Amino acid sequence: MKRAVRLLHAGRLRPLPALALVLTLVAGGFAAWAGQDWYRAAHDEQAEYAAQRDAALSAGEQAVQNLNTLDHRELKRGLDLWESSTTGELHEQLASGRDEFTAQVKEAKTVSTARVLSGAVTELDDRAGRARVLVALRVTVEAADGAKSDKDSRMLGELTRTDGRWKLSALGQAPVGGTSTG
Amino acid sequence: MTPTWLQRRPPPPEPGTDPAPDPADPPATDAPDRDAPATDTADRNARDAPDRDPDDRDAPDGDAPDGDAPGEKGVPHGRLRKAVLAATAAVLVLGGCGFFYAAHQLRSQAPARNHALTDTEATTRVAGDVGDALARIFSYTPDGTAAAERSASTVLDGRAARQYETLFARVRDDLTEQRVTLSTRAVRTGVIELEGDRARLLVFLDQSSHRGDGNGNGKDKGKDEGDVEATTAAAQLTVTARLDDDRWRIVDIKAR
Repeated sequence: MKRAVRLLHAGRLRPLPALALVLTLVAGGFAAWAGQDWYRAAHDEQAEYAAQRDAALSAGEQAVQNLNTLDHRELKRGLDLWESSTTGELHEQLASGRDEFTAQVKEAKTVSTARVLSGAVTELDDRAGRARVLVALRVTVEAADGAKSDKDSRMLGELTRTDGRWKLSALGQAPVGGTSTG
Repeated sequence: MTPTWLQRRPPPPEPGTDPAPDPADPPATDAPDRDAPATDTADRNARDAPDRDPDDRDAPDGDAPDGDAPGEKGVPHGRLRKAVLAATAAVLVLGGCGFFYAAHQLRSQAPARNHALTDTEATTRVAGDVGDALARIFSYTPDGTAAAERSASTVLDGRAARQYETLFARVRDDLTEQRVTLSTRAVRTGVIELEGDRARLLVFLDQSSHRGDGNGNGKDKGKDEGDVEATTAAAQLTVTARLDDDRWRIVDIKAR
């Protein structure tokens, strides 16, 4: 009699652990799937490349803006910023021409302020750490007498990644009426 | 304590063998239920003791202890196992949800959604299409504005189409009168954003215009006519394009 009761009892208890086991297994399957999905998303080369592209663009835009901004009253700060935004040949050029340039700007007493209108990355070599950007820029120059003039320019910049940061290694105006290169 | 209980209790179960164990059993299994949370307190002994008594009291009954002992030990084990199972399931579900959410976050991040350059083929294609389209719609000869307008109707859409129409309506007569030849070339094209069927591009254009002084052979889109007056201007545009029937159409143009 007792046995029967106990058996009945056991019979009543069995389905619950079975269900729990199944649910746990399902949960495990879900966790495993989600885990590997996350792993793939986190180690997606495309996403890494896209992140590099965006990093290069924002660094490029900022650097181009920096190099077109200079206040004769704060020359040292401005020129330090120029040097910290650049690398390679461009950096050397700026550093070697610094004194001469300082004298010129002090003489002219100009204040240039640049604003990036738009920018895009045209080439990106993620491994080599090189990129090319297009930047449409508006530079406002305030002369010594307070007269302001706006000038739009289109810049082509080349970026090189140094110590994990993108810096300008070359900068120039896109030539007008020159040869076409898409 | 137990002995006294044992001494006092044995008689009642013996007469009522059948009904007695039945009511006695559920409490026996229930008791550990209530006891489980308070396992390590002194309480347990106090409360357990009377609960266990019916079991102990079963002892003299014969095979009862055999069945009861595992029952008594097994049920908390089962409980524990169930709790562990439930906790594991909960952790797995939570973990799974966490991973799922993290993966979704990674995928929906702006850099990952923007396929500019990551999808080289599509990037080249949209840049080429848009560059060509701009060159075509902004190149015309004094008598051939219709061709430019025809191109415009195929490559422009939405706001860009309206902008172009307004612009052309205003200058069409002047163009013919002044014998203006304009040729436009996309010098540099950069894709800012490429997401599905929408793209935003930065285009540097060179536009050279010639004023032909009305010498009539404007249809040559001439290099040799009015060359002396040729002026080249630079333009920067940001263009929004939409992929329509497998072809990129410009829907908005902003001069920069």
